[in-house]
Amino acid sequence: MRSKYKTGLLRINLLVASTLVALRAVAADNAVDALLLWAMAAWLVITGARLRLGHRHLIARLWQLVPGLLLAALLGSAPERHITWLWAWPLLLMWPQPPWMLLLHGLLAVMSWHAQHDALGSEPWWLSGLLLAGLMFLGLSHARALQARHLATRHRARLVAGWPLWPRPQLEHDLDRERRRATRESAHAELLLLRLPPRRLLPQAGRLRHHLQRFENGYRIDRRTLGVLLISRDAEQSAQRRERLLDALEPPVTARAIPLPCLVSLTDEVHALSRQTPARWIKESATHA
Amino acid sequence: MHDAEPNLARHRPLTLVLTIGTLLLLGQALWFYLMGEYHRMPPPALLTPVMLMATLLAPMGGDHARAAACLVLACGLLLIAVELSRPTGLPSLWIGLPPVLALLLLPLAPAMLLNLGLTPIWMALLGAPRPDIDVLLAYLSLVTAAALVPWGRLRQQAWLRATDPGDPECRAVSPAYLRERLAGEIDRADLLGQPLAVLLFHLPQLEVADEQFGAKARQAVLDGLCQTVAGRCRAHDILGRAEEDVFWLVMPNTTESGALLVQQRLSRALEPVVLVETGPLETRTRLVMRHEGEDESSLEHRLHTATRRLTNARDA
Repeated sequence: MRSKYKTGLLRINLLVASTLVALRAVAADNAVDALLLWAMAAWLVITGARLRLGHRHLIARLWQLVPGLLLAALLGSAPERHITWLWAWPLLLMWPQPPWMLLLHGLLAVMSWHAQHDALGSEPWWLSGLLLAGLMFLGLSHARALQARHLATRHRARLVAGWPLWPRPQLEHDLDRERRRATRESAHAELLLLRLPPRRLLPQAGRLRHHLQRFENGYRIDRRTLGVLLISRDAEQSAQRRERLLDALEPPVTARAIPLPCLVSLTDEVHALSRQTPARWIKESATHA
Repeated sequence: MHDAEPNLARHRPLTLVLTIGTLLLLGQALWFYLMGEYHRMPPPALLTPVMLMATLLAPMGGDHARAAACLVLACGLLLIAVELSRPTGLPSLWIGLPPVLALLLLPLAPAMLLNLGLTPIWMALLGAPRPDIDVLLAYLSLVTAAALVPWGRLRQQAWLRATDPGDPECRAVSPAYLRERLAGEIDRADLLGQPLAVLLFHLPQLEVADEQFGAKARQAVLDGLCQTVAGRCRAHDILGRAEEDVFWLVMPNTTESGALLVQQRLSRALEPVVLVETGPLETRTRLVMRHEGEDESSLEHRLHTATRRLTNARDA
């Protein structure tokens, strides 16, 4: 799976880039310039060391801000030396980012272009500004296209590639479907809700998936709650499977099992789980004889 | 970007930027004319028609948009080369433009090859007495560092592909997810002791529609099938795209007689579907039942054989 993302090649690329920036830092003639370039080289190395695919956390966002800020600082402090990098702005905008970050990058780009006035002279300054604006627009449209695709698949895409772990909207969809299907097939379907410490959620989900049948799925309901739809022949088999599954998980886990015919509202059950004191609680099936 | 989305609106930004670029180029030629710098006039004046052509090509999408991008890139590189060879120019400013242009207009690999391949040429153009090592370093570091953004985008696209169970083109599940679901349904059928049926659809018009009428007609053929089927099957039936023009409808808990009924009903529902360009929607169907206790690989093998037969039926 990892080779698909060409992580090795990307690492090499990052290392080469940081070496080149470091070489420029060595050749720098003043301390501020050198410091900024070293910081940029360090950013590239650290990014290479901790490449990850997920990028929704605030820290990751702040980390993505660093190159823009460094670039603006470099272009502001020594325009003659770093003017070549003025063109990096359109590429920075090519990356999907939240609106506030886009605005910030746009502002920084305008500021650093403005700072080049003395170094360039009037006519090339205007020309480069217009070109820069056009390219930034093009970069922005690329980002928009990718973001649109991201948004379109967010409610239905699995959370980790290769794992049967889905977002909450998918659970609501599947619950509805499974309720009718299980009745028709006279199978026993139950929703098992698990409340875990947020940090343990993903590792436990990874453990859980080995105990699921290939037709069963797990869902991340919120940052502390996992849901699992168990399909079994009857209530007895379901109870056995549930016990085995819960034994496989590391405590602390609070579990709540609800046969689908008894499930009224998912939100209520999740809420009840958060206040539940016994570690395991099973709602009795009314229809089960 | 080669991850084609079928909407044509995708090319609008490129077209707009090219229009502005063409006007800029024309303006530059006029400016040189008015300022009396006649020796600097030919490059922009000659390249303006090329840019105009690119601008007209860009909104047509597909290969045309790619050709437009290449034309623009060529124009840009030529103009930069002319600018760099001028002794009084601003080499350290303009040398940064080509790599960014290439990364914006081309996919990552060709853009990187072009950027690295052109390095000696830029340096030769710059090297009045000898090439400035700091400019070279600035150029190379821009090339390598700027490539990170397209890299990241490629990874995001790969991640989207790996996590999205849906087919990017139509309302069916992707081939990989279809295989996963089929395996799950086989297990479930075993657990509950139920029959399992798979109905195969072949769209013989798909390739022709794409070749003769373009992306829109192709989309219409796909939607014609997917929407009709999705509206008429049960919520737990799985419509998946097994191949480019072959779809499988996995029907759990369905006996042979039930499946035959579904096949008839769907054929009747698909008959009146008429598309603008290609006419009545043509579909071929075939039913495959799972034998009791049959394992996954054997069923998949039979499904693939049936798919082959279905797609070759026309040639026979």
